[in-house]
Amino acid sequence: MISIDQGRSFKATLKTWARATRFESLHWVIIGLILMVFALGSIGSERFATLANIFNVQDQLVVLAIIALAQTLVILSGGIDLSFAGMLGLLCVFFAGFNAQDTQTLALAIAATLALGAFLGGINGVITAYVGVHPFIVTLGTSTVLTGLALLHSNQPSGSVALFFEDVVYARIAGVPCGFIFVICLYALTAFMLWRSNFGIRLYAIGNNEVAAQISGVPVKQTKVLVYAVSGLLAALAAIYMVGRFGVGDPRAGVGFDLRSITPVIVGGTLLAGGFGGVLGTALAVILLSLLANALNLMNVSSFYQWIVEGLIIICAVSVLVGRSKK
Amino acid sequence: MSKAILAARKLSKSFGTNQVLSDIEFEVHPGAAVALCGENGAGKSTLIKLMTGLYQPSSGHIEFCSEKVNWRTPSEGIDAGVAVVHQEFSTMSALSVAENIFIEALPRTRWGLIDRKKLRVQTVNLLDSLEIQLDPDQIVAQLSVAQSQMVEIAKALRTSAKVLILDEPSAVLSQLETQHLFKIINALRLKGLAIVYVSHRLDEIFEICTDIAVIKDGVVTSAGPIADYDQQKIIAAMVGRELGDMFPPKASIERLSEVVLELQQLRNNSFDQAVDLSLYRGEILGIAGLVGSGRTELAQSIYGARAATGRVLLEGRELGKRTPSKCLSAGIAMLTEGRKTDGLFAQSSVAHNYISSTISKGASDFNIATDLAAQRSATVVAQFNVVVDDLGLPISHLSGGNQQKILLGRLLENQPKVLILDEPTRGVDVGAKAEIYRHLRALANSGLAILVISSELIEIVGLCDRVCVMRDGAIAAQLQADEISEDNIMSVAAADDSEQQPLDIEVQCVNVKSISSTQAPI
Repeated sequence: MISIDQGRSFKATLKTWARATRFESLHWVIIGLILMVFALGSIGSERFATLANIFNVQDQLVVLAIIALAQTLVILSGGIDLSFAGMLGLLCVFFAGFNAQDTQTLALAIAATLALGAFLGGINGVITAYVGVHPFIVTLGTSTVLTGLALLHSNQPSGSVALFFEDVVYARIAGVPCGFIFVICLYALTAFMLWRSNFGIRLYAIGNNEVAAQISGVPVKQTKVLVYAVSGLLAALAAIYMVGRFGVGDPRAGVGFDLRSITPVIVGGTLLAGGFGGVLGTALAVILLSLLANALNLMNVSSFYQWIVEGLIIICAVSVLVGRSKK
Repeated sequence: MSKAILAARKLSKSFGTNQVLSDIEFEVHPGAAVALCGENGAGKSTLIKLMTGLYQPSSGHIEFCSEKVNWRTPSEGIDAGVAVVHQEFSTMSALSVAENIFIEALPRTRWGLIDRKKLRVQTVNLLDSLEIQLDPDQIVAQLSVAQSQMVEIAKALRTSAKVLILDEPSAVLSQLETQHLFKIINALRLKGLAIVYVSHRLDEIFEICTDIAVIKDGVVTSAGPIADYDQQKIIAAMVGRELGDMFPPKASIERLSEVVLELQQLRNNSFDQAVDLSLYRGEILGIAGLVGSGRTELAQSIYGARAATGRVLLEGRELGKRTPSKCLSAGIAMLTEGRKTDGLFAQSSVAHNYISSTISKGASDFNIATDLAAQRSATVVAQFNVVVDDLGLPISHLSGGNQQKILLGRLLENQPKVLILDEPTRGVDVGAKAEIYRHLRALANSGLAILVISSELIEIVGLCDRVCVMRDGAIAAQLQADEISEDNIMSVAAADDSEQQPLDIEVQCVNVKSISSTQAPI
């Protein structure tokens, strides 16, 4: 009797986990592709399948992972955030501008950068939600403004950060980069929040059907402001990490991240229109894309080909999604 | 007599210069069910939105429990105890049944996190008390229309509501599901809930309501206990004139000799059953059946909008690989079930909507005269008696009945031989319905073959010359002449040939996939 109950509850638990993480059958395809890339990489290069290289990949995917996480949240809410190019640039020079050499200044710099990120994101949200401008336009505009501001501040990499902070960023625990561990925690926390917090459910609700959400009493506008603010906050985290890696604040650090942030979200199966999807898909897609880039690099394939491959992956991913939903 | 729980006092609302409601007096008492009637555009929905806090009145006020209230947001109304089931579905298809029902009232743990276990228990309890059989964890996108409607009702009733407002809740429900809904409503009313029931179906009003209020052009024209009314009196109050017979006389069966459209072993991708059917020149053929019985799928597979095998012959010639545009030029035109989702270009003007399937008519491909569009649509506006101020206005400004007339006119511009009409009078007021019926009969008499799918049995019985009843994707019976009656249709449509339970919505609607499959991914 007890064993039967346990059997059923194990199955139920599994089902709940799948629902909580928004696991879909599509994710098996991504996992399959990851394995495929892994196999091809191992054949193509001796260095690929080494532990050192895997840790390298983990190091390299940190920024993309954080930015893609931010984009996932915004897209789930039915919006889009194209402000990362300017946002990252400005936040980098801002953080590096503190020239933090002691813990106290560093703490202040981190707090101020996070606050600025959240504030700038919040502005995106306010204009989107309260003025009613399409987020595509708003965030494209703020990105341009912020890029200009960052370049005005310094048109070349400037500022610095304490060496001990760089050490923390470069630190590894049993070979695994701290940045990667941090990213995993961040994804787990976000997934938990999407499943167990009001904010998470509101996000899905307004991305799915804004009018219905409003009728149901969801504070649509506040939620929108919050999601863009969170997106800005995550951008600030990425900026702090980047400064820690490079040792300086590069006003051009964000170039390309506006569009690159969208790729993993779409490949991971999140609906561009909002409402459907989750962070697990994005995580898998980030791993796939990073492994692929790394494998091609090690096989001495020109980065121009990498662009072609990445573009094809986006198109294939979306085609699969379309085909799936027509069934 | 008990005091009114919810009342409108001298309530007026205008949008800009447009006075929608003026000096409305309306009240509902605990344990009573008030029918709110009126043609489309009469102001029923506006009144409901005012009474729930979605709109604010221009003058006058709302009274709740004999106190003047001024709700600024829907949640204030909900918190006070006014529950609404909106006409437009307000379910969120990406969320689960439980999340939909309890959104913004989700149970929390003491850490402020959502208590998923408690949520499930609460949902199960609520659904059980309403005798609704649904899985709390199921995503709403996977439910049928009727099931999502049940979610909607459960959601409205999750709070300890004192007033329940239902805005055309039965519009998408089959007869059996409607009966189930009525059982729920009656039980709630007897418990002391006040009910406001908006519906176009007059027979329902007599079945379930205790009082009635009729609105015409933003004014309450008639109100009182339902016992003082009959159908004719309600219609008269709604349209402001006596309506003769709703339905024009039928065609005689003997006249039906020439087959226009023939289906041979047509089998679509949703059902295993094949359909054989002949449609004659000059007839109106009705397709009846429960929601999910395959009516819409059949229409779509004829029109090439759904993958299907089998043959379709138009005037004896087989139509090869069918697509909507090929069918249209061959002479088959279809009016879709969802006017808003796949019928109208809601933001485009009335004129552009009208010419959208025959854009190049009377013009060269590279030069579409604006005047011509206006001229052409002006003719149809006159012909169908469409009420419209300006043909350049977005068609979304028109009432449902007027929109439907424009769409019908648009189909006729293609000079069809066969008209397929899926729910031609859904969300259309009584006056416009009668007009549409008259036009359809005239078209049939002029030689068109018309296929009408409808959930309204009165419409099927009153309008159609022959009736096919569908069940599980197949035609279960063909009725003609005197055999056509509501009883005969229902006994076939809801026949128990399996373990089907009459009130088990899940079993009946298991085949409805159209809602989830029309979701575009990007």
